[in-house]
Amino acid sequence: MALDERALGDLVEESQDLHVDAMRSTRASLDELVELGQERRAHGDIDPEESARTAEATKQGINKGLVIGGAAAATAFGTALMSLVASPAFAANSPDVQMLQTAASIENLAVSTYKTALTLPYIGGASANPVVKAFAQTTMAQHDQHNDAFNAAATALGGQAQNKPDPKYVPVVNQAVSQITGESASAGAMSVVKLAMTLENVAAETYVSFCSKYSDSNAKKVTASIMGVEAQHVAVLNAVAALLSAGAPQLIALSPTVVASLPAAAGSVGFPNAFYPTTSASPAAEGAVS
Amino acid sequence: MIRARSQKPRTDHISESELLAMTKNMDEMHRDQALPAMKAAVTDWIESFRDTDKGERRASSRRTFLLGSAGLGASGLLVAACGSSSKSSTPPTTMTPATSGSTGSGGALSGDLAVAATAASLENLGVYAYSAGLQAATQGKLGKVPPAVATFATTAKAQHMDHAQAWNAALTAAGKQPVTATDPKLTPTVNSLFAKVTNAGELASLALLIENIAAQTYQAAIPALSASSSVAVAATIHPVEMQHAAILYYVLGQYPGIQGTQSNMYASGTPLAFNPTALARPASDYSA
Repeated sequence: MALDERALGDLVEESQDLHVDAMRSTRASLDELVELGQERRAHGDIDPEESARTAEATKQGINKGLVIGGAAAATAFGTALMSLVASPAFAANSPDVQMLQTAASIENLAVSTYKTALTLPYIGGASANPVVKAFAQTTMAQHDQHNDAFNAAATALGGQAQNKPDPKYVPVVNQAVSQITGESASAGAMSVVKLAMTLENVAAETYVSFCSKYSDSNAKKVTASIMGVEAQHVAVLNAVAALLSAGAPQLIALSPTVVASLPAAAGSVGFPNAFYPTTSASPAAEGAVS
Repeated sequence: MIRARSQKPRTDHISESELLAMTKNMDEMHRDQALPAMKAAVTDWIESFRDTDKGERRASSRRTFLLGSAGLGASGLLVAACGSSSKSSTPPTTMTPATSGSTGSGGALSGDLAVAATAASLENLGVYAYSAGLQAATQGKLGKVPPAVATFATTAKAQHMDHAQAWNAALTAAGKQPVTATDPKLTPTVNSLFAKVTNAGELASLALLIENIAAQTYQAAIPALSASSSVAVAATIHPVEMQHAAILYYVLGQYPGIQGTQSNMYASGTPLAFNPTALARPASDYSA
């Protein structure tokens, strides 16, 4: 990196000085949410009474974290989350819980879709483009973490975890997978990318929509940390789709020299919106536990 | 504008016109979808100012006058924002830090309006940096600039202008002056970094810094903003800055997302599933 690293370092340090506490609390909270989600999933589906037990475990976990972290960890986030766990205001079917469950259902579907796609030789096999394969693997893992975080947040608010996929998009995925299996490698790759774009866009748009509807600031914080990552998935898929469509898969590569060969239009194809749309956003209850 | 390179790219199979048409179609489609949502969010926010003002009308007839005239101005800005990005407004003309408050007779900024002002100043910084980069490229100061980089800079700049207009529409609706200065806390560092930029890759690195700062500032602001309508505005912009960053990572030959650590955006490692906020700027960056 030829830029002045010291100046950049100073800037980052200044930002960190300003935000270090908030950043630590956010990271710790997210880690905690993910851990909680993973523990829950490791033990299988939960029964109705598990919500209460999970909430209590969450409360204890937060308390433990506060003790371990000392005064610095007694953050607004931790306090807010603990008070929410104890609050009767957040019923198991509150709008916040429903939105978190719907988000988890979208993540569930994304994980299973990428998992299926990776079984295709031209996506996850020997004939796959290395960048596409790495992207699919990484993105699947990220969606899995997102799922854990959303479910942990839902259970922390007294709801159940959602371990099923979004019912609206299951038929869409099934139909697409059925079609893809009969296609050639090049056509199949494009179909996979388009299917992934659909799911990623639904995720990003849904989270954008939910951010202004949550009443819980923790739900906003978790969702805000995820929706931009989904939008980045969309940007990459937009670019990949354009290059595949243009017959230039060789330009799907992570190398600083590739950019010199990209056509001009490739510079903007990844981000066509000045403002992220919400027309494909799922309603709050679409993937909620019924 | 940056001229097309005389050397033919090694992209024999690429139909530039086809890709361009695809880009335009996507742009039109998403403008139809995204802009009404953003406009509705800003309008809701403006309406909230009007509702607040109705309650205070008897206490201050002067404030009522300011709000009314500002509302008309805001409508104009929104209309401009819904048009062609590249023609919609004049970019900031200076990268000099704002040394005095320019919030007009509306008084000091606080709450959501303080966030709006800082956000506008960050967007202005993005516009100015891309403008300066494009100008330097046109003057041949950056060597050969790939056409895709030029297109990226032009498009991202236009989107940052739209973002600034959205925030300024809310500010003017509340009787405040629009923010035309660049973020005063960041500007010296960005100026220092820009002075050392000698090629397109270094420009992309600087742009990546600005995009990540903007994205993380919005992300940190979302749970802190009071009005749901202001949250909606921030939420529709944050993912776009993240997309800018993703493409910049790709341009730099890196995986399109922050990896490894929270604070080092150039680190290599496992891409982060949750975007950090280590670079977020506080609302106090732009103070009245």
